[in-house]
Amino acid sequence: MKQAMSTKETMGERVFNIINVSIMLFMMFIMVYPFWHIVMFSLSDQKFAATGGFFFWPRSLNWSTYEIVLANKNILSGFKISVLVTVCGTLAGVLLTAMLAYALSKKSIPGYTFFTLLIFFTMLFGGGMIPSFMLIHYLNLFNHVGALILPGMVSAWNFFIMRNFFTALPEGLEESARIDGASELRIFWQIVLPLSKAVLATIGLFLAVGYWNDFFSSVLYIVDKDKWSLQAVLRQLIGQTSSAMSQAGVDIQADVQVTSQSIIMASIIITTLPILCVYPFLQKYFVKGVLVGSVKG
Amino acid sequence: MVNKMVDKYLAAWTNVLKHKYLYILLLPGLLYFIIFKYIPMWGVSIAFKDFNMFRGYMESPWVGLDNFTNLFQGMDFGQKFLNTLVISLLKLLFGFPAPIILALFINELRNLKFKKITQTIIYLPHFVSWVVLAGIITLFVNPGDGIINHLIVFFGGKPVDFLNSTTWFVPVLVLSDVYKGIGWGTVVYLAAMSGVDPHLYEAAKMDGATKMQQMWKITIPSIQGVIVIMGILSLGGILNAGFEQILLLYNPIVYPVADVIDTYVYRKGIIDANYSLAQAADLFKSVIALVLIILANKLAKKFGDDGIW
Repeated sequence: MKQAMSTKETMGERVFNIINVSIMLFMMFIMVYPFWHIVMFSLSDQKFAATGGFFFWPRSLNWSTYEIVLANKNILSGFKISVLVTVCGTLAGVLLTAMLAYALSKKSIPGYTFFTLLIFFTMLFGGGMIPSFMLIHYLNLFNHVGALILPGMVSAWNFFIMRNFFTALPEGLEESARIDGASELRIFWQIVLPLSKAVLATIGLFLAVGYWNDFFSSVLYIVDKDKWSLQAVLRQLIGQTSSAMSQAGVDIQADVQVTSQSIIMASIIITTLPILCVYPFLQKYFVKGVLVGSVKG
Repeated sequence: MVNKMVDKYLAAWTNVLKHKYLYILLLPGLLYFIIFKYIPMWGVSIAFKDFNMFRGYMESPWVGLDNFTNLFQGMDFGQKFLNTLVISLLKLLFGFPAPIILALFINELRNLKFKKITQTIIYLPHFVSWVVLAGIITLFVNPGDGIINHLIVFFGGKPVDFLNSTTWFVPVLVLSDVYKGIGWGTVVYLAAMSGVDPHLYEAAKMDGATKMQQMWKITIPSIQGVIVIMGILSLGGILNAGFEQILLLYNPIVYPVADVIDTYVYRKGIIDANYSLAQAADLFKSVIALVLIILANKLAKKFGDDGIW
């Protein structure tokens, strides 16, 4: 009886499945095509690209656009800054959050409820743009790369995810280490952290993506263009006309192999490439993280 | 009496010392929260002052509610508030159900490999930055050679300058926001759906229920707790109309429909350095958001679901 139930497919179900799969294919197409279009467009000889329309393959493969963009000093400095900020911010953020989350995963610690509420409240209310802006000034971090790293390094959201994880770790391991005379710090460093690789990776990835995609911090806190993040550089590039672009240090060649449009597109691809490459492999970590976070403790 | 107090104090202090290593771990993170989250909270008080950067915080005089009166009486703010609400509500109207519906369909996919590939791909826009996405939108809806207008012309229409039109700007905003979030939004719902007892579906099928009926009567009620919580969180953020997205896409032509409280705060506060007025607007928004999320949480509890706290 059971076997018959699961293999029998009614006409209605068949139709439904066909429609369902079609919808999914459509969704995947609209999610992927914009990037595909841009890659193909930017790899084309612009003489042909100007006619517009859909791009499924490059029209006369041409790397000039990328040669120009990758030589642009603003793009290069933006890239360097973004990498620096992302790496430092992620490492420091993961460490600090882990320390905080571990300490507050021990219910016996005096002030447990108080500190937890303190952190939770920041999810409901905040100072806002202007006080943060002023704080950076008062900390003498204005126009300093640190202003791109520090704000946003530790968040309540990440804290709760990590803490949920630490609370779920079996007490036994820590207990036996404690009996053997290990200090709390050693337990944290040598036992808990190695066991927590999954959650550390998850939070690390959330932080890394956040840092890489951040542009507003540069707009708010940084004045020197050579300290802007890549996203901020990209944003300015997009907002400009080609005459202003030569100011930014991009040489528009006389021949039409390259246009302002193709430069924007190539810059977009370069900016988002790290994410596009890394993300499919690490997707499961992101998903796990969200699920743990939504079952808030 | 004094002895008791001293004892209590000593006991508390000993307790702290017992956990001194935990406190060492706790300290940097705690300091971070105090410096970067709580000190700025104190900064909202400049909404009640006539803040002057040169005079500094202490020397700037208190003006009570003057900034708020100026704000509300001015011609601008009402419109910004309205825009914020309209955009937020539209985003909620389309953006809240969309991931749920998509999740319902994904949940019905039979082929596991196809399902996994689909999920991986639809999560993508969420991880792309708004700068990149806004750049793509700008290129695609370009009235000259953007492919969207190409399609419109192909089907016999006239090209539309979407980002400079007060009619089309908000739809583009809402649609692109849904586009960016719909895939990733399914994660929580799919997880909840996977926890539904398959026997329920079998029983329903035996009773002759169609797929639609199964979805409506089994799946949705089973995940209703998750829906409520996500709903509460969305309500809490209702006055955030999507600052980064709007900042990247808007321009003075569409201010009448696109300028929201946050962009107003940015222009008035950071660019014009009219800190007090801008902060008043920001504080107004934060307080309302706080009240909303508390109310929403209470409401959810009243209906029998678990709130967030």
